[in-house]
Amino acid sequence: MKRLLLYLIMAFSAGNASAQLFPQRPTYVNYTEVGGLFGRVLSGPSTTQIVENKVSLTAQTFNGVQLTQRVAVGGLVGIDWYKSALLMPVGAGIRYDLIRSEQNVRLLAVVDGGYGFAWLHTNSTGYDLKGGWMINPGIALRVGKPSSSAFVMSLTYKRQTADVQKPIGGNDIQRDEARIYNRMAIRLGVSF
Amino acid sequence: MKTNYLLLFLSSILWLAGCTDKCKETRTYRRYTPVNYTLAQLRQGVHVENAQTLVNPGKIYTKDQFLFINELKQGIHIIDNRNPSSPKPVAFIRIPGNGDMAIRNNTLYADSYMDLVTFDISNLAAIKEVSRVPNVFPNGSFEGGWWSMDATNQIVYDQNVSYVTETIETNCEENVTPTGGWGWFTTALSSNAQFSSADKAGGSTTTNGVAGSMARFALYSDYLYTISQSTMQLFNIKDPANPKIGNQIQLGWGIETIFPYKDKLFIGSQSGMHIYNNSNPEKPERLSVFQHARVCDPVVVHDHTAYVTLRSGNQCGGFTNQLDVVDITDLVNPRLLKSYPMRNPHGLGVAYPNLFICEGAYGLKSFNISDVMNIDRNLLDYIEDLNAYDVIPLEKSLLLIGKDGFYQFDASNPRQLRQLSHIPISRPTYY
Repeated sequence: MKRLLLYLIMAFSAGNASAQLFPQRPTYVNYTEVGGLFGRVLSGPSTTQIVENKVSLTAQTFNGVQLTQRVAVGGLVGIDWYKSALLMPVGAGIRYDLIRSEQNVRLLAVVDGGYGFAWLHTNSTGYDLKGGWMINPGIALRVGKPSSSAFVMSLTYKRQTADVQKPIGGNDIQRDEARIYNRMAIRLGVSF
Repeated sequence: MKTNYLLLFLSSILWLAGCTDKCKETRTYRRYTPVNYTLAQLRQGVHVENAQTLVNPGKIYTKDQFLFINELKQGIHIIDNRNPSSPKPVAFIRIPGNGDMAIRNNTLYADSYMDLVTFDISNLAAIKEVSRVPNVFPNGSFEGGWWSMDATNQIVYDQNVSYVTETIETNCEENVTPTGGWGWFTTALSSNAQFSSADKAGGSTTTNGVAGSMARFALYSDYLYTISQSTMQLFNIKDPANPKIGNQIQLGWGIETIFPYKDKLFIGSQSGMHIYNNSNPEKPERLSVFQHARVCDPVVVHDHTAYVTLRSGNQCGGFTNQLDVVDITDLVNPRLLKSYPMRNPHGLGVAYPNLFICEGAYGLKSFNISDVMNIDRNLLDYIEDLNAYDVIPLEKSLLLIGKDGFYQFDASNPRQLRQLSHIPISRPTYY
């Protein structure tokens, strides 16, 4: 599955789509953004649960082709610094222009998906983090002339899974954790 | 237009602000309940029954294409393995408090809580108890639950073990220590097994069975070596049907496994690996101790290298889970060559150049150990979807026992272990 994903990314990144299928010649497009992943977590026994707010740094770059005036597809790579997991999402995405204003402001629908790898993560003793699937849909504003660099602001929902094996002690036979990070991602960046 | 953008953004923020991480930790652990038996009750409980299904398997032993699978504290399953693709259960010897066994020729030695019981298995259709050495094992443990004998009141105090699986929500971080129902005790799974060989004793050829690395019984020359938590008890088996109590050797604390290799005994304990010179089988002498952190540590040996798996959990304590490779060229000064991190290693077996490591609930790993300094780069196969407790590598096959049953693999290609057969447990789940 991961290999299939990598093939897809390569295919998208290479601008594999034939120009004859689309009304305009595909042009290279890049969205590079940095921001935060905002969320909360509820933990503890059911009688004494605690709510904590969570903020994590996120950065990603999307490189692809503008297939039509409205649609861009490409591959993406990023990095997400969760509190106990440093993940590198690698995947593919689509940018679709929903609305264009006369003041060079475009509202985009954004959908990214992929797999968050734990290549850069260092495990504490007894822990073993494995990555997981990621989906990241949302909307973005692109402010700037279509033919030049633009300012991008995005608001998306990011769902990232991860599995962790935890230290075994006491009378334990098995101790594992399944994590689902449900976060609101707010990013700022540039596009060209 | 601007109003539309704003409304879309604001409504999205409101909806997304409810984003909540979901992290669930699932933990399976042992729970103990006290139970008492009278000695008479235990001794009357030994008899041979029809073949039964596996319920809570312990150690494995093999001899002459027959398998002997310990049913923890219940007895021994005897299985005809002449066709490895279709092993057939033959009989079940009910032995209360049984955890270990050893076989020489046609004589089976088994522990029954405090006693050593000897069986004649020359005719599997008519297995019979031939002798018993009473009250030689004063205490012990099964799955981390301790038992002890009260000779005055003729009672054995034991603990039944049950497995509990619980799930809690965590804060997705690493610093959550289980509390309340997630109590941390200090106990451990002790185990046993040994490898066997053919001895020449008194001019006649004797054949021993083969055990795994978790054994607490070992055979060498005219002696049966049994280890308890702190001592090694020898039995003279020159007359195989009538074992005689021999020397008792103090080993220290937390003794777990014994592995005979040539004329040496390698004893795994919670604090280190003991090496004994056994050139005088009547009186083994300690050569050295290879110390390590407080964990459980079965050991196997090939030539001048010992492979020791250290695991945490239960009575093992500690938080170390690794494979230690130890140079034993100088038996008096064993030297650590390298440590490799593991998940929760239990038994292991070496069939050079391959090493098989049981990772408990996390499966079985097969390594090439030609280069002992790069074992981690030579993982040949990893079967994750089984529970692996102990393993016996034979010439071309691999016998494996775990909480979900007995597995047999064709190991002629260690890069791709091919399952030949599986005897499942009769419970719906093993924890």
